[in-house]
Amino acid sequence: MRLRTFLAKDMKEALATVRADMGPDAVIIASEKSKTGGVMVRAALDTPEMEAAPAPPEQMAVVTDIDSAFHSGMLKRLRGGSAEKKNALAFDRAELLGALGKHRLPEGLAHALAEAASKAQLTDMTLALASALDKRMRPYPIDFSAANALLLVGPNGAGKTAVAAKIAAHARLAGRRTTLVASDSAGAGAVARLETFAKHLDSAVTVAENAAELNKLVSDCLSKKTFVIVDTAGFDPRDARARTAFIALAQTGKLETVGVVSALSDAEEVSEIVEALGTMGAKRLIVTGVDLTRRMGAITAAACQSVPIAHVTQSPFVAGGLESPTSLSLARLLLDEQRSAQ
Amino acid sequence: MTTHITAIGSGKGGTGKTLISVSLAHALAHQGERVLLCDADLGLANAAVHLGIQETGDLAGLLAGTKTLKEAVVRVASGPHVSFDLLAAPSGSAALANASEAQIQKLIAALESAQGYNRVLVDLGAGVDNSVLTVAARADETLLVLTPDPASLTDAYAFAKLLLRRTTTRMPQALVNMALNATEGRRVADALIGSANAFLKAAPDYLGYIPFDTRVTDAVRRQGPLLSLYPQSPASAAIEGIARKLHGAGPAIAVAGLR
Repeated sequence: MRLRTFLAKDMKEALATVRADMGPDAVIIASEKSKTGGVMVRAALDTPEMEAAPAPPEQMAVVTDIDSAFHSGMLKRLRGGSAEKKNALAFDRAELLGALGKHRLPEGLAHALAEAASKAQLTDMTLALASALDKRMRPYPIDFSAANALLLVGPNGAGKTAVAAKIAAHARLAGRRTTLVASDSAGAGAVARLETFAKHLDSAVTVAENAAELNKLVSDCLSKKTFVIVDTAGFDPRDARARTAFIALAQTGKLETVGVVSALSDAEEVSEIVEALGTMGAKRLIVTGVDLTRRMGAITAAACQSVPIAHVTQSPFVAGGLESPTSLSLARLLLDEQRSAQ
Repeated sequence: MTTHITAIGSGKGGTGKTLISVSLAHALAHQGERVLLCDADLGLANAAVHLGIQETGDLAGLLAGTKTLKEAVVRVASGPHVSFDLLAAPSGSAALANASEAQIQKLIAALESAQGYNRVLVDLGAGVDNSVLTVAARADETLLVLTPDPASLTDAYAFAKLLLRRTTTRMPQALVNMALNATEGRRVADALIGSANAFLKAAPDYLGYIPFDTRVTDAVRRQGPLLSLYPQSPASAAIEGIARKLHGAGPAIAVAGLR
């Protein structure tokens, strides 16, 4: 673990310095007001170097693997470098359909995208696909310096609680005060996790037992210009009964509903869930777990739905924030394997 | 009688681990446990130095198979009516500095089957090398001693991380030494817990803190047991409190059959 101590005039500057010097995975493990009026922040970053420290005898064999892995990795990089220059992929409709199929895109969507890409009249396949995606994708990132109150909804295990923490972290970086709210149905585990996150983020955590309490809480926070992020229990938005329970929460009016879905789900399921979230009034979408998935069907399906895509998350760490996908970055993800295969 | 093995490690050297081990042995014995203190700092054993005694027991003999555990330990009277057994090697003997895997396994087996003790305290060497982790992974619980020194934090984190990797589930309990007060103790532990939570998704429990106390330095210089020399000092009180916590946990865990 790497440890560094920073002195800064305020928390905002300290957090920015930590990010700049140690990268997005660093976490603040201690902070205090310094005697001279600023803040002193200590940040830690996990380092892989120390993992080599112990060498139990049974692991000795691994060392040769690391050597050979390094060797083959090096070769691949050297070859890849020269290969990349000469082949930007040429557009080929059949090949594009094949690639989209490998990524398990819903069939209808894959054909629609291939059709749109061929109409783009671009010789570069990546650009053609990007242009097709561009017609359907509406990136709509959250403006952390201006957003007021967000209600996170989505199926179980999509990562709503971690997303709440990530949003709070970004808001802190933008210099906002934040309050994390666990709504009545979020469950004890979520409350405990939120509290742990909040401690590191210097944010408050509150539990709202019902819609009325939530309404009051949100009004209070808004009057104090505090950014409120409400975490909820997971549910299937396609289920009408579960939906009505949430519409009560969303009725609080001042809350903007943000859907959270996992990139690890089936593409068709995600399409349906996002569509249902849209009918519930979700204004934006966040797709989690993009680092964990090799098939981009779910994220593409989610991005091409009527709900605009705000962010994707590529790291389980709170500091490993929210990225904004573009049609080009998504096209690259979809065709990357294709390129390396050549 | 089941023997509860408590390992005491630190990652970094100079955290006061040996003094804590010796004092905990004393305090637990005073609370009625039959204690064996094993100085497994295989390179630089010095529990005996802290206690100001010449005899150390014969850990090397035990490992070589020339002595039984009973023959290898030495009884230490650390105060009136308080005694515990010590198993160590003479300081600087270096016989065990390069203990083989087989020797370490033998030591663990001997401690696990030790008859007549409620508690075996194992003073692990500083660092996170293989022998330290092997013993820590087999203990019933592991105390991790750290100080407000930032270097101690990184080394303690390394210890926790590698112990977790060895055992897949186990985390040590954090014991903060040389803290100015309760607030600093908590803050130091929180830094470790926060890092572990963020990077390992698991965190050590906070066992407690021992305040910085000049009488500790004095006791070490006089080579006498802290708890006998300065029973009223804040550090002694804190160590007795920690011992009570451990004492409470020991039998309860044994009864629940979780050992």
